[in-house]
Amino acid sequence: MPPIIEVQNITKTFQARTGTRVLLGKGGIKDKLAGVKSDSFNALENIDFNVDGGESLGIIGSNGSGKSTLLKLIAGVTVPTEGTINVYGRVASLLELGAGFHPMLTGRENVFLNAGILGMRHKQVEAVFDEIVEFSGIGKFIEQPVDTYSSGMYVRIAFAVAAYTNPDIFLIDEVLSVGDEEFQRRCRRRIGELMEQGKTIVFVSHDLGIVNSLCERVILLSQGKMILRDTTSKAIDFYLRQIGDDKGLHTLHCGDLETIQCNGRISIFYKQEELTPASGLQFQVFYMGQWHNSIDADWEMSERSDTRCVARGNWSKLQTTIVWTIENKENKVIWSVDLECENPTSFEQFETNVHLPQEYVQWIYDDESGTFPEIQTDDTAWQVVTSPELICENAAALPSGDEGVPLQINIEKHRPNARGCWVNSDFMTGCRIFQIREQLGHESIELPAGTTELLSLELEVHDSRDSFDQMLGEKSARHTVQSGDLRARFDRGRLRLSFKDQQLTAGLHGYASLFINNLWNDSLNLRWESYEEEGAKKRFTGESRRFPYALIWEIAPAEDNAVKMNLYLEAHEDIQIQEFHTSLLLDTNYAEWSTDHESGTFPELTPEAQDWQHLNHQYDQGISGTASGEGQPKIYLTVDQDSPDARFTILNTSYHENARVVQALTTPEHGVISFPKGRHPYFSGVIRVG
Amino acid sequence: MNSLVYTDAHQSQVRRLIPDLIRSRQLLFDLVWKDIRIRYRYALMGFLWAVLEPLIMMAVLTFVFSFVFQIRSTVGGGPRETAVTILVGLIAWQFFSNAVSSATNSLIDNRSLVTKVNFPREVIPLSSVGIAFVNLIIGGILILVLYSALLLKIPGQMIVFVPVVFAIQFTLVIGLGLLFSCWNARFRDVGYMVNASILFGFYATPIFYEPAFVLERLTDRGWENLYPLFFVNPMAGIITSYRELLFNNTLPSVNLLLWPTICAIGVLVLGVISFRRQAPTLSDRL
Repeated sequence: MPPIIEVQNITKTFQARTGTRVLLGKGGIKDKLAGVKSDSFNALENIDFNVDGGESLGIIGSNGSGKSTLLKLIAGVTVPTEGTINVYGRVASLLELGAGFHPMLTGRENVFLNAGILGMRHKQVEAVFDEIVEFSGIGKFIEQPVDTYSSGMYVRIAFAVAAYTNPDIFLIDEVLSVGDEEFQRRCRRRIGELMEQGKTIVFVSHDLGIVNSLCERVILLSQGKMILRDTTSKAIDFYLRQIGDDKGLHTLHCGDLETIQCNGRISIFYKQEELTPASGLQFQVFYMGQWHNSIDADWEMSERSDTRCVARGNWSKLQTTIVWTIENKENKVIWSVDLECENPTSFEQFETNVHLPQEYVQWIYDDESGTFPEIQTDDTAWQVVTSPELICENAAALPSGDEGVPLQINIEKHRPNARGCWVNSDFMTGCRIFQIREQLGHESIELPAGTTELLSLELEVHDSRDSFDQMLGEKSARHTVQSGDLRARFDRGRLRLSFKDQQLTAGLHGYASLFINNLWNDSLNLRWESYEEEGAKKRFTGESRRFPYALIWEIAPAEDNAVKMNLYLEAHEDIQIQEFHTSLLLDTNYAEWSTDHESGTFPELTPEAQDWQHLNHQYDQGISGTASGEGQPKIYLTVDQDSPDARFTILNTSYHENARVVQALTTPEHGVISFPKGRHPYFSGVIRVG
Repeated sequence: MNSLVYTDAHQSQVRRLIPDLIRSRQLLFDLVWKDIRIRYRYALMGFLWAVLEPLIMMAVLTFVFSFVFQIRSTVGGGPRETAVTILVGLIAWQFFSNAVSSATNSLIDNRSLVTKVNFPREVIPLSSVGIAFVNLIIGGILILVLYSALLLKIPGQMIVFVPVVFAIQFTLVIGLGLLFSCWNARFRDVGYMVNASILFGFYATPIFYEPAFVLERLTDRGWENLYPLFFVNPMAGIITSYRELLFNNTLPSVNLLLWPTICAIGVLVLGVISFRRQAPTLSDRL
């Protein structure tokens, strides 16, 4: 392809603005007469490059480095002071969307006018008009004056016009940071289509993530000079390292790990290779119908050393500051995110994304693992790989074969309702993403004025697969009780059971719940922090966040294929409990159940099942409940004679939760069960398999 | 291949002006249309205002000058003749002043376009003349209606020469528009000077009086030699010519139109050259 844009050794000089100084003062006529040279500066100096047809070129550089001037020169809006620019083809510039839009004209009128400004004939516009309207999603509003549009609609229609004017060259300046996620995706897809059609794209941004995913080559500008023209990854790497005098930029080193915080994006390098492509580590909040990304904030470093830094990013519109503390240790990066609100603020969502390269093929989350599906070329939306689960402490991604290093993500601190999952990005971005998101349905998340801790992540790199496997083993051994082929792993208030590596439990697994003040308090909502070991017995203590009590779970292996569970209630003051239960949620392959008094089969779960459904009829006191199914080992939940009077109930969960339940329920005939201050055993039993 | 090639030297070449404008004709008309539509879109009476505005102005001027200051038209002397005479001067002047002042500010008003998109910059000042032109046409119809309604006759056959005079006026307006708009981008002082000159011009141009009135006053003081200075203002000759054609049904003398013609061509040449020279870097100055 011959060059479509030739930039030949150009320099652009700006004179100091004259204005009131034209007659008097510096640079004025008086000085000119006296032969004093006026102030001028070179916005661009000796820039020389060609862009081939069909190429997509990114221009990056810090503020004031001349990016926008260069784009304006290519657009022909202004001319260089020295040198020449030849552009062979029609240019559509998205320097600012909706240039020439008039608020009083209707959408339709503006489309024609705007397309006319971009050089299209009315006939040509008519031919693509329907596509423009469809792409923008404006619908019938197209006949309304644009001053009735929301800002999102305005941008959408403006982008649609530009995207369908069929130029040879597209100039794009930061426009992709507007609009909602769905629209941004559509923009990207459209840009992708244009690239496939062989259009030339010149893209300016300081969002390295977008540049990375859209551009093949990058020009790096600094103070008007072209420092580098290279492939995207090399140029971005160089940019992150070299343009280091920005106030929001800091580099941490430790061992083979290097971490760069660059204005709201964290990049991690391991042995000089970037581990975090595209948008790196980023954080965003959804507030008042809009995403606010950490890269939109104004960053500065409030503390910096070689291994630790504190960065503060201010979103002036939100009157909120993000505080990042980043610590670089041997093989570990610890990243904490706090939010500092000036006033009590209600957010709609928080989202944290850790971008990893596509070379990671296997994911681990909690006890589960699997392989990432291939990202297809027509994937324009992110695809969830694992269903969002309440946070559990570790996630990891493994590369294929010997390429790359296993990366482990430990979630040290998180908010109670945060959920984590693995996600495949769209094709353009091409990333595996670990996403932590907090969203309370339609309710908003209220944060008080002052500082709130949101999250703390530890990213750990293992130099080899072996050390990773060993770590996994040790980690789970701490929480695992093994008896014959039965393995019970304690996971923050849940007991996961497996038999010969076959998962027996599902969903909430084995958990306990107390009904206090008309509220069910599930064991997994407790703050499980303390852990003790006594021989083979493991003891876990979880503090309630709501009521003055703690639960103590003692789990120990019993005779073959059985686990002994002793649950204690530690009442910090007198407490009254209406009822409580200890339940096992079983895989749906379990088909039959029995109690001391009756037996039956589990009916199929149907989508109509919105609630849990009781299956047995006799709730007299008993000592055991069992479940069995084809291919499943028979499972017994048995209570000791000295455990307070238990009744067994058998249930199906809702369709959504998709599990069978064997439950030991304690419910008083009248009133409540009172526990005075002190420690009380409240459940004692055995889970046996086989 | 329908693509166009441009290089940095392109916009400053005078010889490319005409091809550039031909290429951008649709944009030119679009912009004119846009101005027209938004001007009257949210006004209840819409286009009616284009008629009402000059009518009200005429009524006020007629009242002030013919009753309060006792200035009389030479056509017949009655208030109805005065009113029509004033209307002719007023419509012609308003086209001139509206067109020049909006063209002067046009580049600044359309900053967002000029600094974002590449197109022949002349389109902007030229399109800004459009709305004044529409008002002129409405005004012209108004003149004809009032002429026949108030004077109870129709203009003579010399009316066919009105477009010739108008061509001179139009050339002058375009020239001034190009000249002032580009310099105004550079020195905003130009805009203020244009506004002041238009205010001055309103009194220095025979709008609510006729040249004979000026001659009379000068002769009273023995300064009649200064009378030709009055016609240094090209609009004086142009408006007087319109009146000659419409009221006296005579061709204006060559003397009356020679100077305005020279002015118009001179200003156009100056305007085009100035504008073309500055066009490539206009966006840096906005």
